[in-house]
Amino acid sequence: MMNPHQVFSALSDQTRLEVLARLASSGPSTATELSAVMPISRQAVSKHLTALVQAGLVERNPVGREVRFSFHSDPLDDIAQWASDIGTGWDRRLENLRRSMQ
Amino acid sequence: MQHSNASGASIERSVELEAGRGEVWRRITEGRALSDWMGGVVTIDPRPGGRVTLHEDGAPLVWGTVEDVVDGRRIQWTWRTDDGLPTMVEFEIDPIETRTRLTVRETLLPWTVSGPEVNNLWGGSTLAQGSVFLAA
Repeated sequence: MMNPHQVFSALSDQTRLEVLARLASSGPSTATELSAVMPISRQAVSKHLTALVQAGLVERNPVGREVRFSFHSDPLDDIAQWASDIGTGWDRRLENLRRSMQ
Repeated sequence: MQHSNASGASIERSVELEAGRGEVWRRITEGRALSDWMGGVVTIDPRPGGRVTLHEDGAPLVWGTVEDVVDGRRIQWTWRTDDGLPTMVEFEIDPIETRTRLTVRETLLPWTVSGPEVNNLWGGSTLAQGSVFLAA
Protein backbone atom coordinates (compact mmCIF):
# COMPACT_ATOMS: atom_id res chain seq x y z
CA MET A 1 0.00 0.00 0.00
CA MET A 2 1.23 3.48 -0.84
CA ASN A 3 1.79 5.89 2.00
CA PRO A 4 -1.81 7.09 2.40
CA HIS A 5 -0.71 10.48 3.67
CA GLN A 6 1.26 11.03 0.50
CA VAL A 7 -1.91 10.16 -1.42
CA PHE A 8 -4.08 12.56 0.61
CA SER A 9 -1.45 15.27 0.34
CA ALA A 10 -1.32 14.83 -3.43
CA LEU A 11 -5.11 15.08 -3.61
CA SER A 12 -5.31 18.15 -1.36
CA ASP A 13 -4.27 20.54 -4.15
CA GLN A 14 -6.98 21.77 -6.53
CA THR A 15 -4.67 21.88 -9.54
CA ARG A 16 -3.38 18.36 -8.94
CA LEU A 17 -6.97 17.17 -8.66
CA GLU A 18 -7.68 18.77 -12.03
CA VAL A 19 -4.60 17.15 -13.57
CA LEU A 20 -5.76 13.81 -12.22
CA ALA A 21 -9.33 14.32 -13.43
CA ARG A 22 -8.09 15.18 -16.92
CA LEU A 23 -5.86 12.10 -17.06
CA ALA A 24 -8.73 9.94 -15.83
CA SER A 25 -11.15 11.30 -18.43
CA SER A 26 -8.86 11.92 -21.40
CA GLY A 27 -6.42 9.04 -21.04
CA PRO A 28 -2.61 9.12 -21.12
CA SER A 29 -1.23 12.57 -21.89
CA THR A 30 2.08 14.42 -21.98
CA ALA A 31 2.79 17.40 -19.73
CA THR A 32 2.71 19.59 -22.84
CA GLU A 33 -0.76 18.35 -23.79
CA LEU A 34 -2.02 18.95 -20.25
CA SER A 35 -0.60 22.47 -20.08
CA ALA A 36 -2.29 23.30 -23.40
CA VAL A 37 -5.72 22.77 -21.82
CA MET A 38 -4.94 24.14 -18.35
CA PRO A 39 -4.14 27.70 -17.27
CA ILE A 40 -0.68 26.76 -15.97
CA SER A 41 2.75 26.30 -17.52
CA ARG A 42 4.19 22.98 -18.61
CA GLN A 43 6.75 23.32 -15.82
CA ALA A 44 3.96 23.69 -13.25
CA VAL A 45 2.14 20.70 -14.73
CA SER A 46 5.38 18.69 -14.53
CA LYS A 47 5.81 19.61 -10.86
CA HIS A 48 2.29 18.45 -10.04
CA LEU A 49 2.75 15.27 -12.07
CA THR A 50 5.86 14.47 -10.04
CA ALA A 51 3.86 14.64 -6.81
CA LEU A 52 1.13 12.48 -8.31
CA VAL A 53 3.68 9.93 -9.55
CA GLN A 54 5.29 9.83 -6.10
CA ALA A 55 1.87 9.21 -4.54
CA GLY A 56 1.30 6.35 -6.99
CA LEU A 57 -1.72 8.09 -8.51
CA VAL A 58 -0.08 8.62 -11.88
CA GLU A 59 2.16 6.35 -13.91
CA ARG A 60 4.98 7.71 -16.04
CA ASN A 61 5.48 5.93 -19.36
CA PRO A 62 8.28 6.98 -21.71
CA VAL A 63 7.13 6.45 -25.30
CA GLY A 64 9.81 7.21 -27.84
CA ARG A 65 11.00 10.76 -27.21
CA GLU A 66 8.04 11.79 -25.07
CA VAL A 67 6.70 10.83 -21.68
CA ARG A 68 3.04 10.05 -21.28
CA PHE A 69 1.33 10.12 -17.90
CA SER A 70 -1.69 8.01 -17.00
CA PHE A 71 -4.10 7.82 -14.07
CA HIS A 72 -3.48 4.91 -11.69
CA SER A 73 -6.34 4.22 -9.27
CA ASP A 74 -4.72 1.53 -7.12
CA PRO A 75 -3.79 3.83 -4.18
CA LEU A 76 -7.40 5.07 -3.98
CA ASP A 77 -8.70 1.51 -4.15
CA ASP A 78 -6.25 0.49 -1.40
CA ILE A 79 -7.38 3.31 0.90
CA ALA A 80 -11.05 2.49 0.26
CA GLN A 81 -10.31 -1.15 1.09
CA TRP A 82 -8.46 -0.16 4.27
CA ALA A 83 -11.39 2.02 5.39
CA SER A 84 -13.86 -0.73 4.59
CA ASP A 85 -11.85 -3.35 6.51
CA ILE A 86 -11.46 -1.12 9.56
CA GLY A 87 -15.16 -0.22 9.55
CA THR A 88 -16.24 -3.83 9.15
CA GLY A 89 -13.97 -4.86 12.01
CA TRP A 90 -15.49 -2.30 14.38
CA ASP A 91 -19.03 -3.17 13.26
CA ARG A 92 -18.37 -6.78 14.24
CA ARG A 93 -16.72 -5.92 17.55
CA LEU A 94 -19.35 -3.39 18.65
CA GLU A 95 -22.09 -5.85 17.77
CA ASN A 96 -20.36 -8.44 19.99
CA LEU A 97 -20.26 -5.90 22.80
CA ARG A 98 -23.90 -4.84 22.33
CA ARG A 99 -25.09 -8.46 22.42
CA SER A 100 -23.04 -9.24 25.50
CA MET A 101 -24.75 -6.38 27.37
CA GLN A 102 -28.38 -7.13 26.45
CA MET B 1 -20.11 7.13 9.29
CA GLN B 2 -16.85 7.22 7.41
CA HIS B 3 -14.97 10.26 6.28
CA SER B 4 -11.56 11.29 5.14
CA ASN B 5 -9.75 14.56 4.74
CA ALA B 6 -6.55 15.97 3.32
CA SER B 7 -4.45 14.93 6.28
CA GLY B 8 -5.72 11.40 6.74
CA ALA B 9 -8.63 9.03 7.02
CA SER B 10 -10.89 8.37 9.95
CA ILE B 11 -13.46 5.65 10.53
CA GLU B 12 -16.14 6.20 13.17
CA ARG B 13 -18.74 3.86 14.59
CA SER B 14 -21.20 4.20 17.48
CA VAL B 15 -23.35 1.81 19.44
CA GLU B 16 -25.93 2.31 22.20
CA LEU B 17 -25.48 -0.10 25.07
CA GLU B 18 -27.91 -1.28 27.75
CA ALA B 19 -25.56 -0.39 30.57
CA GLY B 20 -24.34 2.52 32.63
CA ARG B 21 -21.19 4.48 32.06
CA GLY B 22 -19.16 2.58 34.65
CA GLU B 23 -19.83 -0.82 33.14
CA VAL B 24 -19.04 0.39 29.61
CA TRP B 25 -15.85 1.98 30.88
CA ARG B 26 -14.84 -1.34 32.40
CA ARG B 27 -15.48 -3.10 29.10
CA ILE B 28 -13.08 -0.81 27.24
CA THR B 29 -10.31 -0.51 29.82
CA GLU B 30 -9.85 -4.03 31.24
CA GLY B 31 -7.93 -6.53 29.15
CA ARG B 32 -10.12 -9.52 29.98
CA ALA B 33 -13.33 -7.59 29.35
CA LEU B 34 -11.96 -6.20 26.06
CA SER B 35 -10.91 -9.71 25.00
CA ASP B 36 -14.52 -10.86 25.40
CA TRP B 37 -15.75 -8.69 22.53
CA MET B 38 -12.75 -7.54 20.50
CA GLY B 39 -12.23 -10.92 18.85
CA GLY B 40 -8.75 -11.48 20.21
CA VAL B 41 -6.67 -11.39 23.35
CA VAL B 42 -6.25 -7.84 24.57
CA THR B 43 -3.81 -6.60 27.16
CA ILE B 44 -3.95 -3.02 28.32
CA ASP B 45 -2.47 -0.80 30.98
CA PRO B 46 -5.08 1.98 30.86
CA ARG B 47 -2.81 4.85 31.81
CA PRO B 48 -1.01 7.36 29.58
CA GLY B 49 2.16 5.60 28.43
CA GLY B 50 0.69 2.17 29.19
CA ARG B 51 1.06 -0.65 26.69
CA VAL B 52 -1.86 -2.08 24.72
CA THR B 53 -1.80 -5.21 22.56
CA LEU B 54 -4.32 -7.18 20.52
CA HIS B 55 -3.63 -10.68 19.29
CA GLU B 56 -6.26 -12.16 16.98
CA ASP B 57 -5.97 -15.72 15.70
CA GLY B 58 -4.09 -15.79 12.42
CA ALA B 59 -3.36 -12.06 12.48
CA PRO B 60 -0.17 -10.21 13.34
CA LEU B 61 0.17 -8.75 16.82
CA VAL B 62 -1.13 -5.20 17.10
CA TRP B 63 0.77 -3.22 19.70
CA GLY B 64 0.87 0.33 20.93
CA THR B 65 0.66 2.88 23.70
CA VAL B 66 -2.17 4.50 25.62
CA GLU B 67 -1.98 8.21 24.86
CA ASP B 68 -4.75 9.83 26.85
CA VAL B 69 -7.31 8.84 29.48
CA VAL B 70 -10.23 10.85 30.86
CA ASP B 71 -11.57 8.56 33.53
CA GLY B 72 -15.00 7.19 32.68
CA ARG B 73 -15.27 9.25 29.51
CA ARG B 74 -12.51 8.75 26.98
CA ILE B 75 -9.48 6.61 26.27
CA GLN B 76 -7.17 6.98 23.33
CA TRP B 77 -4.30 4.85 22.13
CA THR B 78 -2.03 4.51 19.12
CA TRP B 79 -1.12 1.13 17.73
CA ARG B 80 0.13 -0.74 14.70
CA THR B 81 1.36 -4.08 13.47
CA ASP B 82 5.05 -4.40 12.66
CA ASP B 83 4.46 -3.71 8.97
CA GLY B 84 0.99 -2.16 9.06
CA LEU B 85 -0.44 1.32 9.11
CA PRO B 86 -0.20 3.15 12.44
CA THR B 87 -3.56 4.33 13.70
CA MET B 88 -5.10 6.10 16.67
CA VAL B 89 -8.07 4.48 18.39
CA GLU B 90 -10.37 6.67 20.49
CA PHE B 91 -13.29 5.50 22.59
CA GLU B 92 -15.79 8.04 23.90
CA ILE B 93 -18.62 7.36 26.32
CA ASP B 94 -21.82 9.42 26.43
CA PRO B 95 -24.64 8.59 28.86
CA ILE B 96 -28.11 8.64 27.29
CA GLU B 97 -30.63 8.36 30.15
CA THR B 98 -30.19 4.77 31.40
CA ARG B 99 -28.17 3.72 28.37
CA THR B 100 -24.70 4.60 27.17
CA ARG B 101 -23.44 5.47 23.73
CA LEU B 102 -19.98 4.22 22.90
CA THR B 103 -18.22 5.79 19.93
CA VAL B 104 -15.01 4.44 18.48
CA ARG B 105 -12.92 6.34 15.98
CA GLU B 106 -9.86 4.91 14.26
CA THR B 107 -7.65 7.39 12.42
CA LEU B 108 -4.64 6.87 10.18
CA LEU B 109 -1.52 8.46 11.60
CA PRO B 110 1.23 10.04 9.50
CA TRP B 111 3.95 7.77 8.25
CA THR B 112 7.51 8.80 8.58
CA VAL B 113 8.69 9.35 5.04
CA SER B 114 12.42 9.43 4.63
CA GLY B 115 15.25 9.04 2.19
CA PRO B 116 14.74 8.97 -1.57
CA GLU B 117 10.97 9.37 -1.29
CA VAL B 118 11.36 12.85 0.19
CA ASN B 119 14.13 13.83 -2.20
CA ASN B 120 12.03 12.89 -5.20
CA LEU B 121 8.83 14.60 -4.05
CA TRP B 122 9.43 17.88 -5.81
CA GLY B 123 11.75 18.32 -8.80
CA GLY B 124 13.24 14.94 -8.08
CA SER B 125 15.60 13.05 -10.30
CA THR B 126 12.88 11.07 -12.06
CA LEU B 127 11.18 14.11 -13.50
CA ALA B 128 14.44 15.92 -14.15
CA GLN B 129 15.38 13.07 -16.48
CA GLY B 130 11.90 13.03 -17.97
CA SER B 131 12.05 16.74 -18.71
CA VAL B 132 14.80 16.15 -21.26
CA PHE B 133 12.36 14.08 -23.27
CA LEU B 134 9.42 16.36 -22.56
CA ALA B 135 11.33 19.29 -24.00
CA ALA B 136 11.77 17.50 -27.32
